[in-house]
Parts: sequence; structure tokens; C-alpha cells
Amino acid sequence: MMFKPSSPLLSGLLWKIPWRLSAPQKARQRKRLRGVDRVVDTVSAALERNGFTTKSVERWYAEMPREEEMLPKDKYTIFDKKEKKYRKGIHKLPKWTRVSQRVNPPGF
Amino acid sequence: MSSYFRITLMRSAIGLPRRTHDVLKALGLKKRMATVFHPVSPSVAGNIMKVKELVEVQEVDRRLTKQEVHLERKPDPGYYVEKRAGTELRECRRA
Repeated sequence: MMFKPSSPLLSGLLWKIPWRLSAPQKARQRKRLRGVDRVVDTVSAALERNGFTTKSVERWYAEMPREEEMLPKDKYTIFDKKEKKYRKGIHKLPKWTRVSQRVNPPGF
Repeated sequence: MSSYFRITLMRSAIGLPRRTHDVLKALGLKKRMATVFHPVSPSVAGNIMKVKELVEVQEVDRRLTKQEVHLERKPDPGYYVEKRAGTELRECRRA
């Protein structure tokens, strides 16, 4: 059979968001994670040199893993209670390139 | 010795919460690639932490003027001036 009916062919506008990230997308995601780490390190070093401390920086170091400490699972996927096996691609998260999403809820 | 944060807005806050826009406004970052200097202090650090995904930060010894920041980005013109016309004219007259 030549024509294979599928929802994108049968209807007009249908967005298809791939279920996983491509290799370059993952590379850019790692780059962004390292960029955020670098900003926090710079801020922390500058404060230390001037003899200050800031709660937000301390909290970041206490709670957030660095890029190299994270598992691939946490870099590229996110917890979702509605998904099978409770994970979905991080690119489903709104504004995912400009938010810090690194940790899972307790037990996941 | 006091030092400064050199903060450059790399990513725009379009579509992000209003609070994020307000933090950028407080830092004086109005458009992408804008650079501002702020003294190192806990309050500025807190503001940077709010927008850490959008900015690049360096610690520098002094504030650069807007002109100096612009000149850093200016490409090499590809030529140099050996002598100005006025100087050459004066030299000719003297000779």
C-alpha cells in the first residue's frame, strides 16, 4: 500500500515534537549547564575575595549538582508523574533552555 | 580593594516571568549583549543568581566606560595611518 494513513498526513497542522533530544541538542544542553556553573563559580569567588557570603549562592552549592556530577538521565530528562516510567524529555519543559532543572523529587 | 561584576546579558528574558524582567531592569540590562558594571556586593550577587541562566559574569578591577566596552568589540580596520594630512602639510611648509 502506497498511502500510509497517519495523523500528520491526515490532518493539516500537527506539531511533532520528537520524544528525545538529538545529539547536538544534548551537547548544547551540557554547554548551558556548564555556563550556569561558571556564572555561580565566578560570583562565589568574587564574594569570597571581598569577604561576603550570600544565601542564594550557598543554597545553590548545597542543593544543585554540577554538570559533571549529573547523570545523563537528569541532564536530558525530567520527572513527570503522568508519563510511563515517570520520565519525559527535558525539551518538553517550557523555556527549558533558560531554566535550571537539575534535581528530582525525593524518591525519583 | 573593591572589584566589580561585569555582567553581559546573553539570553533575552522574553516569555519568562515578570520578576525576571524586573531583576534585569534592576541590574540595568535593557537588551541582549548589553554590559553593565556593579560593585561586588551580596545584593548584586543575589540579583545575578536570579538571572544566572541569561547572563555572563566576570570579576574586574574597574568599571569600563561604554566607549571602552564598544571599542573591545570593534574589528581591526585593516590599515593604519602613517601620517596625518595636517602634519604632512606643516612639514612641507617648514622644508
